[in-house]
Amino acid sequence: MNERVKARTALGTAIVLVLLAPWVLDQPYWRGILVVCAMNVLLALSLNLVLGYTGQLNLGQSAFFGIGAYVSTLLIKSYGWNFWLAALVAVGAAGLLGLALAAFAVRLRGHYLAIASLGFAVITYQVLVNWENVTQGVRGIYGIMPPVASTTALFYLVAGIAVLVYVLIGNLVRSPIGETLRAIREDEVSAASLGINAALWKAFAFGIGAAIAGLAGCFYPGFVGTLVPDAFNIVESFTMLAMVIVGGMGTMIGPVIGAIVLTFLPELLRGFGELRLMIYGLALTLVVLFMPGGMVQAWMALRARIR
Amino acid sequence: MSKSFGGVRAVQNVSIAVPANSIFALIGPNGAGKSTLLNLLSGIYQPDAGSLHFDENNLIGLPAHRRVRLGIARTFQKIRLFKQLTLLENVLAGFHIHQDAPFWKYLVYGNTGRFREEARELLAFVGLEARSGERAGALPYGKQRMLEIARALATQPRLFMLDEPAAGLNAAEVDFLLKRLEQISRRGVTVIVVEHNMDLVMNVAHRVFVMDHGEPLFEGTPREVQANPRVIEAYLGGEFAP
Repeated sequence: MNERVKARTALGTAIVLVLLAPWVLDQPYWRGILVVCAMNVLLALSLNLVLGYTGQLNLGQSAFFGIGAYVSTLLIKSYGWNFWLAALVAVGAAGLLGLALAAFAVRLRGHYLAIASLGFAVITYQVLVNWENVTQGVRGIYGIMPPVASTTALFYLVAGIAVLVYVLIGNLVRSPIGETLRAIREDEVSAASLGINAALWKAFAFGIGAAIAGLAGCFYPGFVGTLVPDAFNIVESFTMLAMVIVGGMGTMIGPVIGAIVLTFLPELLRGFGELRLMIYGLALTLVVLFMPGGMVQAWMALRARIR
Repeated sequence: MSKSFGGVRAVQNVSIAVPANSIFALIGPNGAGKSTLLNLLSGIYQPDAGSLHFDENNLIGLPAHRRVRLGIARTFQKIRLFKQLTLLENVLAGFHIHQDAPFWKYLVYGNTGRFREEARELLAFVGLEARSGERAGALPYGKQRMLEIARALATQPRLFMLDEPAAGLNAAEVDFLLKRLEQISRRGVTVIVVEHNMDLVMNVAHRVFVMDHGEPLFEGTPREVQANPRVIEAYLGGEFAP
């Protein structure tokens, strides 16, 4: 009962924060950053399910983000589809491609999986660049309309979806499926000895993670207005990885905090000009060195010390 | 069955029949192939040659996780707990094959509380109910072995295989383990135990199968095994044999 009350309170707080955010940061520029932040939260949540809960080092998330963006945009621009229908198909496409990659990748572990998924991200990026008949290549696609008119409305939309996804994934990882996924993360042989089909459940997590990244991708083109392959460069995979690790992987709230911090930190450092990326890099290194469990673990250690 | 690794014949033409509801001990000197045989039975390895049946089911080619659904569970010689998870979560993971709620229920309600009571009972059975919220990795060695037993029992096996469950346990813990094995057996579970602790084997086993150098050496009751000169020779070397 106590836990349920806690969860309700947390959800209420999150909703209030989301509602207030565009009015605290009320300049158009910062409202735009808020939209990016909400998308990053979705991406971090998606990667955390795969990496944090199932233990698969997936560096291909940028590809699924891109697939969601391109599939939805092309369906809207070339075939005149309605945004939501296009988004549904794009999410399905990203999820299915995730499953297809997982069918091969689940046999791999650790570095090998990382290399295979990174390879997938490189290939996807190259396809977006070179398949010019369809994607327009580096020339890009222009004049993409967002599903809702104002930046604030777009933020509410994406943040609302992020909250919903958070609740659903939160339920999933507290359910017996969560125990199954974490069991696989801890020890696959042992999991198999309990009747767990590790390959199946790893593919399941991988597919859902890919679909959620694809969902985030659906909102990106409308927000920016143009679509170029560079937005889905493999570097984006590492940014998502940083968000999950800095926040605290394998916890629900950690990657959310990581996504928020790593979205706003570069913006706050803009005053430092050229030094910005150095400070950003240094901060990341310090976190990984001294808070291996991320900010969530550091906070819990701090709280334990104070008590 | 036979199984080789490169040039090493780990298990050669070993043929065993384990009577239902018995406690069946596999013994032999180090490197005799006991653990390999257990891995063949549980599906971690597939044999190079031979056949394997559990009731009516042909097990050859069946992966480990599918065998669990037929009622085969095991523990490991080198403990393989989910160290970052709590004791309760470890045991709950063991109920995996019995979780039958539809997917949407998990999405909407999260934890359904199913098998929580049963998991606590299993923790109580191995004497760990008071520590159910602790992380498994923080347990002392002997308790980790007992937790692994509780986790495997959660699959509700009809055949339960233990790989050196008494290794690293003190005398009191061995005594506790012995009582629990007898209780498990009385519930109608067939038990196969690989063990070096002869006290345990002689006290608890109905049949003992002795292996040496990957080959069968002798099979009989504990009393017959103790009296057999070939077994004594395998363990102690030729000059000590009567």
